[in-house]
Amino acid sequence: MNNKTPDSSRQLIQKKLARRYRTEKWFRRLGAMAVLISIAFLGILLVTIVGKGSSAFQQTFVKLDIHFDAEVLDVKNLSRANYPGLVKSNLRSLFPEVKGRRDKKKLYNLVSNGAAFQLQDMVMGDTSIIGRTKSVWVPASDDVDLFFKGKISRDVVESNRRIKDIQLKWIDRLQTENRIEKRLNTTFFTAGDSRDPELAGIRGALSGTILTLIVTLALSFPIGVATAVYLEEFAPKNKWTDIIEVNINNLAAVPSIVFGLLGLAVYINFFGLPRSVPLVGGLVLTLMTLPTIIISGRAALKAVPPSIREAALGIGASRMQMVMHHVLPLAMPGMLTGTIIGMAQALGETAPLLTIGMVAFIVDIPGSFIDPATVMPVQIYLWADSPERAFVEKTSAAIMILLLFLISMNAVAVFLRKKFEKSW
Amino acid sequence: MMEQTEEIRGEKSETRDWEVVSREDRRTVGIPFVDNPRMTCRNIDVYYGDEQAIQDVSVDIGNNEVLSMIGPSGCGKSTFLRCLNRMNDTIDICRITGEICLDGMDIYGGEIDVVPLRAQIGMVFQKPNPFPKSIYDNVAYGPKIHGLAANKTDLDEIVETSLKKAGLWKEIKDRMDQPGTGLSGGQQQRLCIARAIAVSPEVILMDEPCSALDPIATAHVEDLISELRKQYSIVIVTHSMQQAARVSQRTAYFHLGDLIEVGETERVFTNPRHQLTEDYITGRFG
Amino acid sequence: MKRKLAAIAAAAIFAVSAGSANAARDYVSVVGSSTVYPFATVVAEQFGKTTKFKTPKIESTGSGGGMKLFCSGIGIQHPDMTNSSRRIKKSEFDQCQANGVQDVVEVKIGYDGIVLANSKKTAPFQLTRKDIFLALAKDVPDPSGAEKLIPNPYKTWHDVNPSLPDTKIEVLGPPPTSGTRDAFVELAMEGGGKNFPWIKAMKKVDKKRYKAICHTVREDGAYIEAGENDNLIVQKLEANPNAVGIFGFSFLDQNSDFIQGSFIDGVEPTFEEIADGKYPVSRPLYFYVKKSHVDIIPGMEGFLEEFSSEKAWGEEGYLTDRGLIPMPDAERKQMHDDVKQLRPLEM
Repeated sequence: MNNKTPDSSRQLIQKKLARRYRTEKWFRRLGAMAVLISIAFLGILLVTIVGKGSSAFQQTFVKLDIHFDAEVLDVKNLSRANYPGLVKSNLRSLFPEVKGRRDKKKLYNLVSNGAAFQLQDMVMGDTSIIGRTKSVWVPASDDVDLFFKGKISRDVVESNRRIKDIQLKWIDRLQTENRIEKRLNTTFFTAGDSRDPELAGIRGALSGTILTLIVTLALSFPIGVATAVYLEEFAPKNKWTDIIEVNINNLAAVPSIVFGLLGLAVYINFFGLPRSVPLVGGLVLTLMTLPTIIISGRAALKAVPPSIREAALGIGASRMQMVMHHVLPLAMPGMLTGTIIGMAQALGETAPLLTIGMVAFIVDIPGSFIDPATVMPVQIYLWADSPERAFVEKTSAAIMILLLFLISMNAVAVFLRKKFEKSW
Repeated sequence: MMEQTEEIRGEKSETRDWEVVSREDRRTVGIPFVDNPRMTCRNIDVYYGDEQAIQDVSVDIGNNEVLSMIGPSGCGKSTFLRCLNRMNDTIDICRITGEICLDGMDIYGGEIDVVPLRAQIGMVFQKPNPFPKSIYDNVAYGPKIHGLAANKTDLDEIVETSLKKAGLWKEIKDRMDQPGTGLSGGQQQRLCIARAIAVSPEVILMDEPCSALDPIATAHVEDLISELRKQYSIVIVTHSMQQAARVSQRTAYFHLGDLIEVGETERVFTNPRHQLTEDYITGRFG
Repeated sequence: MKRKLAAIAAAAIFAVSAGSANAARDYVSVVGSSTVYPFATVVAEQFGKTTKFKTPKIESTGSGGGMKLFCSGIGIQHPDMTNSSRRIKKSEFDQCQANGVQDVVEVKIGYDGIVLANSKKTAPFQLTRKDIFLALAKDVPDPSGAEKLIPNPYKTWHDVNPSLPDTKIEVLGPPPTSGTRDAFVELAMEGGGKNFPWIKAMKKVDKKRYKAICHTVREDGAYIEAGENDNLIVQKLEANPNAVGIFGFSFLDQNSDFIQGSFIDGVEPTFEEIADGKYPVSRPLYFYVKKSHVDIIPGMEGFLEEFSSEKAWGEEGYLTDRGLIPMPDAERKQMHDDVKQLRPLEM
């Protein structure tokens, strides 16, 4: 029994009150601090990435007046013609005073190797330009590009500079003649990987990522949802289903490289599927995402109020009808959230793809599920590991694209969720 | 505790005088059986795992009558109600023995399919639980899955008559495509009743249908129950003795898993034969 | 309905893949060393852009991983070539033979220098291989001159050699899984260990112990494993002027405005010195080819021709622009002929 008088109780409550509020205040401060710290880190991350990467969306171009010499370009053998020669002779005519092999080489290094490929594409696309002279903007080499973007300083001693004094003089002259300028770098969005930073693009990796994720989604979503529905709604509760449940939960925590090794053993070595293809990548990532989808799917099914199930059963719906007509639609938003988390994980994976050969140099843009391909995080990893300094900005730019991809994926998920989640 | 068969008890209850039965005696008193019953329940025991929730209950549900079941919380009245359309099947650990017949057919018999059975014996739940779909779809769902409507016009007609019977038609006929969950609590419950009668049941089970409703909505639903009695047999579980008195013809009093007393509603409330019933209706517990 | 569609889609994917997996592969598949990767990829890209063939696919799996894949069998599901920053081992060769990879062609493509570099903010180091051994080995000979080992006592470069600066020994290098690390311990550290006659004598008596002494890097924090990413090491050198980094020559070449290579045995790691063979810490790079695949895989012959052409690996070739150190003229010619004739390796 309580033998305290109301007055003494009130005093006791008052005494404790200050302490209680203090604790609450501290807790709130700590919480706010944690949020601030995470925002600061996110801010630093974004600022560095955007700071380093934004310049990659621009590219330095040089204007050359190419004479498509009919003598060089034999119509019968256009693919074998000496396109680099066209570029070189034009550069020589721009700077006729350049003599000596070493200086000439420095001169040729002003423009990218890609210039020759560009001319080849032009001629192959339209043979009528043979014999005419045309102004063409070709990409500058990566060093010139870096210099033009201010990432190589004039003030450094010449021996320590990748752009030499004589090249500086040429660049200055090109500039006064309006023959060199920065333009939007469309190559970055249309090309596959390249070892020349100025020719490298993200499209190959982006296509690879999309193809891989399509396979992952097409397999893991139906299988994951079906498994969750079966385990949650139909499977008897016994020792076996308990074991299955424990195993699924464990699988969700298995390091992803293990799935890569499993994929290598099963899909490539046993089934004989080709290496480095989005199909196998998707299959491996499916293994990895399935547990996430199943677990979140089961949680979503559990969260559907029992009253809805009773309503359906009470009216004479069969179990299957109850699940399909009522429970599943209500659980769908939760399942979609789980799926999108799983897909986002899959989007960022590199480790399991290493063993199945998707960490590779691939120039051609994959067009089907069985073309060799790589994915964006792998592309980022490969560029980050490249010696050429101009890849630094490409790496950051690729990270930006990856983040953008992730954000748009999440946006689609939010949209779908809103659609399913009709406001009732 | 109750070794006797129901026949003996039945006879005994008939022969009992107006003297009140003591609290310790848990045999059913009153008139559990009727002529020409719609449903008959004999010696029903219900177990949740090892625990017995209902002990040896026998009772009939007559045609066109409202049988109300009252009793303190946890007395087993809802459990018993859910046995009547086999809703307890969904609980793995629940086990039922005894015999429940609908029109003389054992509903727990091996050849009985539970899906059509639940269309025959409809159910309305404590909390209004319309589907998160439109009003129309809520009512049309049952007829659709059972294939009761030959075409769209047919279906429209079933929906309309069901809603009319549920007394909801006038209020909502212009917003059939709006969500059922957007209605008020009382309207939702009447929608649920319309949903249940859309599949033309013979018996409607109601599990405290008004406990979540305000007095005005409750009055609406009670009027509806009285109206529906003309066509259906209704079993209603309620916590409100006034409600039982208002809507039902017969009342059954449950106590800790035992059916203590059954009889004409008026008599049970004015002149209970069992001490426990009397304790309950005079408010000594519960 | 949705599920049905998905099921059909999945079935279709499988059907397509099963069909095509049996069809011929129309691109060259290359695996192997991450050190050779930057060179092989340039050749592949050049080949893909100037011919009608597809660009070869180059995987960066590491030398050992590449060898394992390469030797796992004959057939289009197995790679056609593997890059390696070291020679094939006898055990790997035997594995190849056991799996039916009979004729393996070995092609040396050039050299790679391994440099020790530091920030340009300080003076370049003048090291000998003996200094490197003493600074980085786990156990070193007793400074008193006795022929026994003691745990590495040296804290600063000055302790190792009085002519070196008095700064803490702090070396950033690759982990043991890296081919660069293998080459470094073999060329630089073992080369230093050999300066002690009693250790050198051990090579004949107890080869295992000799290797253990020369190849074991200290683990007390002076050698910091900085991961496989050489760019990361370069960045760390910029931030920490006292640290020394170990990486491939091409990274020094690209970042010569920030970092400088240390002199080793009096030789500066420059293109010319490595090519002349004067710089002691350089290693050959190889690729290995399955002879039986050359006729089956479209473009393979052309890719080999491109790789071994003068415009690629020659003195003025585009690979030298990327930091590959070319072989002497005679050796290049010899190699070119070997590639042409696909002369199989014998071990």
